[in-house]
Amino acid sequence: MSEARGPSERRRTGAAPRTVRQVPPAVPVVRRVSVRTVLRTPFTRRTWSEAAYCVVGLPPALVGFVLVLVLLAVGTALTLSLLGAVVGLLLLTAALGLARVLAAAQRGLAARLLGERLPGPPPVPAASGPLGRLDVRLRDGAGWRSAGYVLAKLPLAAVQLYAVLGLWVATLLNLSLPLRWGLLGQYPDHGGGAEASVVNPLPFGGGAPHITTFGGTWVAFAIGVGLLLVAPWPARGAVAMDRWLLHGLLGPGALESRVRDLEETRALAVDDSAALLRRLERDLHDGAQVRLVALAMSLDMLREGLGADPGTDAPAAGGARTEGGAEGARTEGAGTEGARTDGVRGDEGGRSPVDAARLRRLADTAHRNATEALSELRDLARGIHPPALDDGLPDALDTLAARSVLPVRLTVDLPRRPTPAIETIAYFCAAELLTNAIKHSGARGVEVEAAQRDGAIRLRVTDDGRGGATLGGGLTGLLQRVRTVDGGLDVDSPEGGPTVVTVTLPPHA
Amino acid sequence: MRVVIAEDAAVLRELLTEMLTERGHEVCAAVPDADALRAAVAEHRPDVTVVDIRMPPTHTDEGLHAAIDIRRTHPGTGVLLFSQHVETRYAAQLLAEGAAGVGYLLKDRVANVAEFTDALARVAAGGTALDPVIVTRLAADGGRQSDGLGALTERERSVLTMMAEGRTNAAIAQALYVSAGTVEKHVASIFGKLGLPASEDHNRRVLAVLRYLRA
Repeated sequence: MSEARGPSERRRTGAAPRTVRQVPPAVPVVRRVSVRTVLRTPFTRRTWSEAAYCVVGLPPALVGFVLVLVLLAVGTALTLSLLGAVVGLLLLTAALGLARVLAAAQRGLAARLLGERLPGPPPVPAASGPLGRLDVRLRDGAGWRSAGYVLAKLPLAAVQLYAVLGLWVATLLNLSLPLRWGLLGQYPDHGGGAEASVVNPLPFGGGAPHITTFGGTWVAFAIGVGLLLVAPWPARGAVAMDRWLLHGLLGPGALESRVRDLEETRALAVDDSAALLRRLERDLHDGAQVRLVALAMSLDMLREGLGADPGTDAPAAGGARTEGGAEGARTEGAGTEGARTDGVRGDEGGRSPVDAARLRRLADTAHRNATEALSELRDLARGIHPPALDDGLPDALDTLAARSVLPVRLTVDLPRRPTPAIETIAYFCAAELLTNAIKHSGARGVEVEAAQRDGAIRLRVTDDGRGGATLGGGLTGLLQRVRTVDGGLDVDSPEGGPTVVTVTLPPHA
Repeated sequence: MRVVIAEDAAVLRELLTEMLTERGHEVCAAVPDADALRAAVAEHRPDVTVVDIRMPPTHTDEGLHAAIDIRRTHPGTGVLLFSQHVETRYAAQLLAEGAAGVGYLLKDRVANVAEFTDALARVAAGGTALDPVIVTRLAADGGRQSDGLGALTERERSVLTMMAEGRTNAAIAQALYVSAGTVEKHVASIFGKLGLPASEDHNRRVLAVLRYLRA
């Protein structure tokens, strides 16, 4: 199953290097074992670190096995006896907790000696109340799988230790027999003839050949050479078994790793789009907006040039300026009126060529269009990325509050700055909720609160309006937006008010 | 007027220079960033500077900080900030040390060349030029406060708004199509409601505007 999915998983994770994990090759690769490989294997680094892994594994495996088994057994027995159910369940959770700790140590060892870097499981999720905590701990899949590994590891560790110690000791003894016989004289002749035997590493077939002459010791040596070449492979087999268990029980499950992948790619997508919008706003600001300002300015100069009428313009200039400004102050679209008045004045001045008046009208229209485009473009840019956000969420919320037509009481306490994507979402939530309060609630005042707890951001907008808001319409859109980063939105709006909308956001996507 | 321009967009920088030169002003320097602006002001001691708020390297509010510095170190140089967006908190920061010789306009206002040069001249002469958008927004803010501003009538508020924009009574009268006497009556009523004692007229005017802007 996992092998069949191998290639597609690798392709998906290939885009994000940090999510790459160990995936067994899709097609079992039949490697040709060359003589060279066989000769070199006993002396490779891998062989020795695998051997080390096998040797150090047994004592902790034994301790872990006993502790976890005892806790599980006693816990289960007590739980089933009903009388000690509480203690029993606590012992079970202790067993699972211990299994998690042991599993973490095992992952560390595997990473160091086997090069198996397995991401650990997420911590046990937080829950409220003693029963809730007990529940999530008992249903902790990672904990149970860890316990499974700890229990399976003991027999495996025994085999591993034997595979290493048994074989290597036999190899060394056999290899050194000529030396021990000839030089060290470990096998003196006590009359009945010297006798030694080839050491057999296997637990069976004990009838190893006996050696009675020095020449015979070379047979043992030859067997020792053979054993030396063979020695790495049982250990490798036992370690392969361990790798399989590690992946199966201590690695992230297929679903878990998929979730992890999705979370990471989603975070990338969210951050990317925030950065993209910011760049878009900056491009508009540095490009189109500047061009339009320059265009409007040139058109105004052109208009002035066309309308330069010494008879009427010069004395009225001061007044006309002030007038234009005042209109600007009262209504944004006042340019129309001013332009018309100016046009009429041009006609009155009796400037003979009709063309001049016409050109002037055209220039007026063009100028008006340019300034209107400018203000539309500004609103658009603000909708894409409010420039105030560049200085952080507190300043942006401050700007928002200042722009609101209702009095806004703003409290911001954000000691750590969230990522830009989160800031943008928080800002747009606040803006939307503020608009809602103004449009629909009939409130006289709004309170906006932004606080941080355990890194998570809580944005709360309270209004003293008529209440009765439900999670629909605009709020659904907000909820969707908030959910793209695993945030939450909670509406509390009893009939008659007040309405409290709380948005929670993680510190990063 | 002797003018220094700081604007990172070359198109606008050149056009502003051309426009001001054409109108008989001297553009001593036109620079693309805040550091060059500080240097140019120190060197040329201009009457007024036109400063874009968003400039390299961070493209956020370098221009504002440079403007505040310049007001502090060269009180003789007026500063006209202009920007694609106007933010009340920038206005508040800029005005924190006084409203004399400062201006803050939306970039769109350049599109009305006459009005823009007029504002520039006011700032150069130690006056104030605030964008109508800013003033309306501050007014909306001020209207909610209780320190006398809330008691102003609609008409009085628009008079005060224009005072904040830096206009004289005569200019206000022209803009509102009323007589200068009516404007004076409004102004007196504003001073009364804000509780500003009758002393030197000009001082009270500045105080009223500041009260209004800081509300």
